[in-house]
Amino acid sequence: MQLFLDGIFLGSIYALFAIGFTLVFGILDRLNLAHAAVFTAGALVGIEIVTRFGVPIWLLIPIVLVVGAVLGILIERIAFRPLAGRHDAHFAGLISSIAFGAILLSLLQALYGADTRRFPADAFPSTRVEIFGATVSLLQVIILIISVSLMVVLTWLVAKSKLGRGMRTIAENPHAAAVLGLNVGRISSTTFALSSALGAVAGVLFTLNVNAASLGIGHAVELKALAVIVVGGMGSLPGALVGGLILGVAEVLAVNYIGSSWRDMVAFGLLFLILILRPQGLFGARKTREV
Amino acid sequence: MLAEYSSLIALIALTAILAYSFYAVLIAGQLSLAQVGLASLAAFTSALVVPAEPLFGFIPPLVIGIVFGMFVGAIAAFILGLPVIRLRGVFLAIATLAFGEMVRIFLINQSWTNGAQGLSFSKLVGPWIAWIALAVVAYWFWRLSGSRLGRAFAAIREDELAATTMGIDVPRYRMASFVIAGAVAGLYGVLLAHFSRFADPNEFSFTAAVDGLVTAVVGGVTLFIGPILGSAFLSVLPEVQRVIGIDAGWIRPTISGVLLLVVILFLPGGLSGLIPLRKSAKRLIVDPSLQPTLPSLPAAGSELVSLSGLGKSYGGVHAVQSVDLTVNAGEVLGLIGPNGAGKTTLVNMVTALTPPSTGSGTVLGVPLSATTKAHRLAQAGVARTFQQIKLFNRLSALENVLVGGYRVTKDTLLRRLLFLPSARRAEREAMAMASAQLIRVGLGDKAANAAGDLSYGDQRRLEIARALASHPSLLVLDEPAAGMNHVEAESLSELIRSLAADGIAVLVIEHNVRMMLATCDRIMVLNFGEIIAFGKPSEIARDPRVLEAYLGSAGSDEDADAASVLASENLAQVSADRDDAQLGLHIDPDPDGVTNPEENR
Repeated sequence: MQLFLDGIFLGSIYALFAIGFTLVFGILDRLNLAHAAVFTAGALVGIEIVTRFGVPIWLLIPIVLVVGAVLGILIERIAFRPLAGRHDAHFAGLISSIAFGAILLSLLQALYGADTRRFPADAFPSTRVEIFGATVSLLQVIILIISVSLMVVLTWLVAKSKLGRGMRTIAENPHAAAVLGLNVGRISSTTFALSSALGAVAGVLFTLNVNAASLGIGHAVELKALAVIVVGGMGSLPGALVGGLILGVAEVLAVNYIGSSWRDMVAFGLLFLILILRPQGLFGARKTREV
Repeated sequence: MLAEYSSLIALIALTAILAYSFYAVLIAGQLSLAQVGLASLAAFTSALVVPAEPLFGFIPPLVIGIVFGMFVGAIAAFILGLPVIRLRGVFLAIATLAFGEMVRIFLINQSWTNGAQGLSFSKLVGPWIAWIALAVVAYWFWRLSGSRLGRAFAAIREDELAATTMGIDVPRYRMASFVIAGAVAGLYGVLLAHFSRFADPNEFSFTAAVDGLVTAVVGGVTLFIGPILGSAFLSVLPEVQRVIGIDAGWIRPTISGVLLLVVILFLPGGLSGLIPLRKSAKRLIVDPSLQPTLPSLPAAGSELVSLSGLGKSYGGVHAVQSVDLTVNAGEVLGLIGPNGAGKTTLVNMVTALTPPSTGSGTVLGVPLSATTKAHRLAQAGVARTFQQIKLFNRLSALENVLVGGYRVTKDTLLRRLLFLPSARRAEREAMAMASAQLIRVGLGDKAANAAGDLSYGDQRRLEIARALASHPSLLVLDEPAAGMNHVEAESLSELIRSLAADGIAVLVIEHNVRMMLATCDRIMVLNFGEIIAFGKPSEIARDPRVLEAYLGSAGSDEDADAASVLASENLAQVSADRDDAQLGLHIDPDPDGVTNPEENR
């Protein structure tokens, strides 16, 4: 039970990161590899804010959401929009977002140095509670609540709101969406903003969970997130949630029963198998673009 | 001076070799991130076989390592390719990335690789050897770029479906590019390990793979020299910054990142896009002595296509129902009908792009079934054009036609590597054949233009030239006159007649009924997937059911145009009948025939 709960906590963070990742892919058909840098930025900026101003967690999360959203808009404007209409926009978008991520990371290094950073001790309550015979910290429960509610809000937004309808129209056919009078540029920006806001919060929550952040944390999570969105189905929001939880639990179990050195094999083995056996993922409806 | 930079110089070459490994898949339109994992496999397994002393006293240990490493890389790429080759785009990238990471984790956990502590290698590679290896690899890709294999890769990158209908076995070629990339990656792995004298599996990580990809893309994939440019640029950049006194830490990676962003945003072709292309496939070669003798076409009148009861249904919708048809060499068979009648579905079945649901058929001796591959039919001698033009847009018009000649040319890569004169002659022959087809459709003066830049009508003609370049026995044209004015349509009609006179069977779908009546030997009319009329143009023009089908279709302007042509034909027919009546032959005028379709609407 303890293992299972630990897996759920870890998995919910993976899912939160992955859901932003998959949102951009599902709607704009682009893989944004700067997402990992946004994750790192969220973590480091979060630590900075808490260290300097001692803000409580309920204030920290909205601030980081805003920081992430601003980064998302920048990513869209700088790394993706100039490529619109180019035949190689797919490849070029991968590379330009890698470049953006690299710039962001080096700026973070300039601001906060290259060392591992932590939240100040006693910044958050360290109450522990017992559930079903397993011990969990209050912080973990808060993390779970925040990430799940953010994901629920996002899914609702995409499914029901006017903005979400616009997004889904663009996903179906960007040209038709533009003809229908939708502001494709603005909706794309908003999509990136939402995506990055969640990515940044995931960074903070991840750091809260392990209480350590360095420049490199984004990369490891990025690879996991790729596994998550493929397992759940590229572009599927519920898929990212379920995929994240599956991966979290599977990893914790693997560490316990096989050994930590093989932990990452689980993610990639799962990813590889799904791609071979069911490329559309567990929840995916793969868009086929044929003749 | 140079000694100070010897390690940088060697690293430029090694990074370029890694970039070539990415280049090898990118030129075939695939994105694989497994390269670094393959390199890692090759490097560590080579440690098991590279001897300390020359083998038999004269084979240097490094040569053994290289041969073994390339072999391991190629085999591993092949095994990886078996399941993943059918994935496309981002999915292929992610699957190969996962493979790379799995290799890394596997090697970390092995005792023979010494795990994360890393393994020592003997120092066998310096700048000289690195650059010699790079030169060999670059030479290979240089000779590849003008060969038939190179053109096939380019065709697959631009449009897989069109490449298939040129007779190119797309999965096989994609696998070939995978295996080539694997061998180059293996070479890189072995060289790198024996250059840095030490390797641990964690060096061959996702980050390293991304670096390799970035190098290849920054260099550009339009020219074989791209990877070298990319590597030089990215390797020298930090060094230059160091020399001009920029601090390490965050400024250098920032500047590198900004430059990378600038290159990718403002230089679509990468650095090699800056080099003015000296395209060989620009000039026509008009030299009758170079026209090779091609195998003769089937005798006029022999049966090329025979369909019996061929049908296709999607769910409950019968797109095509039970079509019986024979097409003979040397005839022009027209296929008309309102929009949505099932014409394109029928020709897609005949060219094996769509498997039939019912019935059977044989095309040029190849039976049609669910497993018939389109490239096999193409190799048997079927060529086609598409309703929605499918050209290789970034290739020149002449290159498009050269790809079309795939079926009737032989591969020249091996001979090109050795600069054999026969390769040059074969290339010139292929060029002469392509030139002749381009001139035949009236595009002789546009040979060097990129296909995507041509006007709509010219693109239609280029597609026909490309199809003709394969020396087909059966040519399928799907709406070739769409977007042409009537003068152009008339010359197209003449072209089709002359092809039939050469002995080619032409199966043509077209909405321009006037042109069809003038061009075809026989016309089949489809409506709702069923044959409603089949016969000589004069019979079709008079058939009231045909006019009715066009009038009844709620359809497009094209259908209305077709209806008005048919109506006027009927009118002409009626007045001819009247003339006959005055001569005493009494025939009832067809009352439907005189109805003006415009009033009916």
